[in-house]
Amino acid sequence: MNCQQFQEVLPYIIEHGGNEEEEGHLRTCPACAELVRDLKYIADQAKLMLPMYDPNPRVWSGIEHALHREGLIQEGRTSRQGHITTFATQARSWTPLGWGMALASLVVFTVVLINYRPQLPKTELAAQNSTATANQLNSEDQRLISQVAQQSPEAQPAYEAGLREANAYIEDAQQAVTRDPDDEQAHEQLLQAYQQKETLYQMAAVRSLP
Amino acid sequence: MRISQTRLRAVVLGVSATLGVCQAFAGETHKESRMEIAPGGTLTVTTGGGSVNLKQGAVGAAVVAYTTHSDKVEVDRTSTADHRRIEIRTHVLTEQKPAADESKVDYEISIPPGVSVTVSTVSAPITADGVSGEMNLSSESGQVTVRNANRSHVIMQGVAAPVSLTNLSAARIDIMANSGAVQLTNVWGPKIHVATSSGNISYQGDCSGVGSYWFSTHSGNIDLALPETASVDLAARTYNGTLENDFPLQKKSHTSSSPPKQGSSFAGTSHSGASAVELQSINGKIRVKKQQ
Repeated sequence: MNCQQFQEVLPYIIEHGGNEEEEGHLRTCPACAELVRDLKYIADQAKLMLPMYDPNPRVWSGIEHALHREGLIQEGRTSRQGHITTFATQARSWTPLGWGMALASLVVFTVVLINYRPQLPKTELAAQNSTATANQLNSEDQRLISQVAQQSPEAQPAYEAGLREANAYIEDAQQAVTRDPDDEQAHEQLLQAYQQKETLYQMAAVRSLP
Repeated sequence: MRISQTRLRAVVLGVSATLGVCQAFAGETHKESRMEIAPGGTLTVTTGGGSVNLKQGAVGAAVVAYTTHSDKVEVDRTSTADHRRIEIRTHVLTEQKPAADESKVDYEISIPPGVSVTVSTVSAPITADGVSGEMNLSSESGQVTVRNANRSHVIMQGVAAPVSLTNLSAARIDIMANSGAVQLTNVWGPKIHVATSSGNISYQGDCSGVGSYWFSTHSGNIDLALPETASVDLAARTYNGTLENDFPLQKKSHTSSSPPKQGSSFAGTSHSGASAVELQSINGKIRVKKQQ
């Protein structure tokens, strides 16, 4: 088994452990072993983050509003936190999009973690190229930007700049982790970088709610 | 009865001016209401543009005053039966998106002690003056200002929103600002944590309160100005940026960790080193200086 074949089944290995052949490759390949170690660390830290960074209350209140509008919760019925007295009606419903965005913000962060690939040490030139790559927006980012632009074009530049900056942050922190895997502050910076990106997704998800 | 021409002109002018003013305020509506809220309850405000001003109010009820600037938006106010949750939301009435000025709502809200507040805005600035307790604030681009409070707990998220915190004692601060600059002046407490991607962070104060002060950024600059009396155990590190220090620090006699393999750093204590101060950047400049 080579590194490419190993990395193709990496998400499965992280979740369920590998078979004998995969475990054998892991024992003999320091690069893949380091990759798995980093991914497990990040996944563990991400689990710890979950209770600390609950979705913004706007997400819950937005969902509740949407449910009322759709008639899924009757006006005057006791809600999750009590009785809602009045609600205005709104002709246009964004419920499917609202649900989709709220869930997407949670899913996207998980996907980003699963697809995380630390870089092997690079030359200066390669590092510059990778920073240029980091400034590119992936398809998820571009989808987010176009959703924000549809709602309010004036907000698009801030989100686009924020995502580019967050990607560059992730890339730089990743390089620091790769250079010295024992550097706790580098790991901390990598988590911070992901949290910055998560914040952008979360705020974009909230603004899409009615 | 004859009216002189001069007086007639004055009357016509006066009537015209009055009509003009009336027209200007035709779409403006001001409302105020008192909403009962239980101790430990939460008050949530969600709006786009305009402004949100919070101040400390009396026990038992929040006073919510707001001004709308057109008939294309309205304000929904809801409350749970047990009075533990109030929600206030700006709501667009028309299918067609109103202009920025038309969708603005200006809020003035008095918060009873012991009630936690959540405010989310798009471009509206948020100002909390003298408000204690928990505040969960988020804004895409509106200036966030919190000042003159004791024992406040501020959790803030922003995209490009500048943040200014002034005169906060025994505070707990947790800020995640993306590109917005964060300025803290005379802010101290057990936990002061600020993280940005590209926003600058500046702190002016004495880092007192035996607290944990943690400032982190990717490409923003960190400026820390401390009085000579500050009692801190300070560590600063950057990976690719630069470091400047003109604050007198004593090197630690022994340290448990070896110097980092990458980037540059400095560390030391002042007086008894009561508060832990940690400054981190990837590319940004870190400057620590003595307050004049």
